[in-house]
Amino acid sequence: MRNLFDSQLNTLHRKLIEMGSACETAIDLAVKALLEGNADIAHEAASHDREIDQMERDIEAICLKMLLQQQPVARDLRQISAAMKIITDMERIGDQAEDIGEIVPFLNGRTGVECEDIRLMAETAQQMVRSSIDAYVNQDMALVKKVISMDDIVDDAFDRTKETLIHMISSNREDGQYCLDLLMIAKYLERIGDHATNIAEWVEFSITGQHAKEE
Amino acid sequence: MTKRIFRSIVIVATLVLFVCFGVTLGVLYSHYSDLQWQQLGNELTIAQNGLEQYGEDYLDTLSKGSFRFTWIEKSGTVLHDTQTSYETMDNHADREEIKEAFAYGTGESQRYSNTLTTKMLYKAVKLQDGSVLRISAAQDSVLALLLEVLFPLVLIYVIAIAVSLMLARRMANRIVNPLNDLDLDNPLSCNTYDEISPLLHRIEKQNKQISAQVAQLKEKTDQFEQTTSSMSEGLVLLDSEGKILSINPAAARLFETSKACVGLDFLVVDRSQAMSGGVKQALAKQHCDFHITKHGSEYQIGISPIVSGNRLLGAVVLAFDVTEQVNAQRNRQEFTANVSHELKTPLQSILNSAQLLQSGLVKPEDVQKFTGYICSEAERLLQLINDIIRLSQLDESVEFPQESVNLYAVTSQVLQTLLPAADSRNITVELLGEHTVITGVRQLAYELIYNLCDNAIRYNKDGGKVTVTVGKDSITVKDTGIGIPKEHQARIFERFYRVDKSHSRETGGTGLGLSIVKHAAQQLGAIIELESEPNIGTTVIVKF
Repeated sequence: MRNLFDSQLNTLHRKLIEMGSACETAIDLAVKALLEGNADIAHEAASHDREIDQMERDIEAICLKMLLQQQPVARDLRQISAAMKIITDMERIGDQAEDIGEIVPFLNGRTGVECEDIRLMAETAQQMVRSSIDAYVNQDMALVKKVISMDDIVDDAFDRTKETLIHMISSNREDGQYCLDLLMIAKYLERIGDHATNIAEWVEFSITGQHAKEE
Repeated sequence: MTKRIFRSIVIVATLVLFVCFGVTLGVLYSHYSDLQWQQLGNELTIAQNGLEQYGEDYLDTLSKGSFRFTWIEKSGTVLHDTQTSYETMDNHADREEIKEAFAYGTGESQRYSNTLTTKMLYKAVKLQDGSVLRISAAQDSVLALLLEVLFPLVLIYVIAIAVSLMLARRMANRIVNPLNDLDLDNPLSCNTYDEISPLLHRIEKQNKQISAQVAQLKEKTDQFEQTTSSMSEGLVLLDSEGKILSINPAAARLFETSKACVGLDFLVVDRSQAMSGGVKQALAKQHCDFHITKHGSEYQIGISPIVSGNRLLGAVVLAFDVTEQVNAQRNRQEFTANVSHELKTPLQSILNSAQLLQSGLVKPEDVQKFTGYICSEAERLLQLINDIIRLSQLDESVEFPQESVNLYAVTSQVLQTLLPAADSRNITVELLGEHTVITGVRQLAYELIYNLCDNAIRYNKDGGKVTVTVGKDSITVKDTGIGIPKEHQARIFERFYRVDKSHSRETGGTGLGLSIVKHAAQQLGAIIELESEPNIGTTVIVKF
């Protein structure tokens, strides 16, 4: 019985890593498309979303099956419930990468160089997703802390981006559409940062049984 | 062990206890009963005599004894009883012992009382007057006796069990301790029991087999480890579930992990979709090949399933660093493109000028100019082809005769040749240093110094300065020219590589000079060092 359960947990772990990897690919492509202004890469980034959604369904089914059949307790229960929360955040990251991928072609090859903070956000968010999944894979508390602390960088950069964009619109009305698109992208990146933070917090929960303390 | 010994001891104890008890009880009981009968007979004879001599009164004196006497008339009516009032007693004529006494003179019988725990013994005798005197006594039955000894018996039994438990434990320990203390690595050294020496011999034999097999395995593993650890290719072995069985140092470096990852899922080490997809495919018994870029290098990854019979044993991941191949291929493509371009351009000019001359469209006073074009372009083409030939000679590593070469003399000869070119652009050329003699190929040294100095002048600013210093074992060529930006410095020794691709015409270089320098230096066993700062100048040091 326990053997079966262990092999199911193992499958869950593998699938979750695979889904994390798919998310990383999606956001890598989205960020690359944004920074290079490449519409082809943007389309590719958007195409990953369906695959990620399917993975979420699969993992959800595995989790429910385990909960029903094995009635896990303690650490096992924590792992499974954390997995169910993590996939929700991963799926949102996939969605947001898709959204960025859909906006990039409308920028007509412009890459938001006017706003240095967008590049910073993109790279930080990318790093956060990678680190949060690394934290899950290696069950690493140090990485969890790092991801949570990185969220501040993204949030601050978002605030500065807003100001820069307000300034850009007021100085050049022609560029309004472009600035709004950039604002949307910035918002999506900020959300990706939040979801990565959530993943890190769920990893902490599955390790320690405690939620990250609100500071 | 303790349990089994205990059980057998208890069984033995119980058996012995009960058999002994039964036998003793039986023997004693029959003896005791015989005794009682005898006593009964004696008492009866005494009473009979007393009764016959002294009459009924005698019976009264007996009433205090432990026996009960009953005197019965011929008709069966009780005349006297020493323990109960005889008036109430019923007729005794039908009692067995009485009947016997009437018939044969004596009689006896035994009957169980209602409770069964006591037995009544009766003995009767016929008196001379025809009446019968009966004596009776109560005897405890076997059952009663049994009940009496039951308590001590149980006590003994409990004690026996306790003792046997203790004994069993001690015995088991005494038997087992030497077995537990057996040195299994060296079983023959401790022959505690003769009975187990065949077992010890077998253990010894198996120990030898096992250690031989372990040594063999270890040797094989060591061989494998050594072979794989000196491989520059990355090698990872996976089991049928994708867990890492073995990883060599090159692969550990590539995937940024360590030997500690053995036993983990490969996904944990590298979760990229290309890799995990490849592993999945291999575990579905299909080979796959793909390229990945990691740490700025190109790797070709091959993942093959390991199949024995029809069963999947695992997969092997091989990673080749193909960066150089990819670069070499790119270089080759660039070289081909460059060579055709460089050869075509002068030819095109020559052809154009020649066509114009042929068609007679050129004014007579311009003919000189066009033939001049043709000449200079043809010269350029010739120079280019010469360079290519020289390069291919160097490539073929033709053996040149070794001789003593005076570097200072060669350099001054080179500078003589280049002086007109330098003068035309007001460039000062200075030769410093000493006469240094090396052993080498004069022609190569000339090519090397010529091309370096030629470049120093060609890529200088008008009115610049070139300083050539011949030192001990080295030549330093320093100019005040346009310099080479950092990002190009690594590639300038490639064939046809140009820092500024658009100005090759003006400076007139072939793009092969530094290639020749590199090859010549290689042949002469010299090392080239380059220091350059854009717009300040370049210093090339050749160390022999």
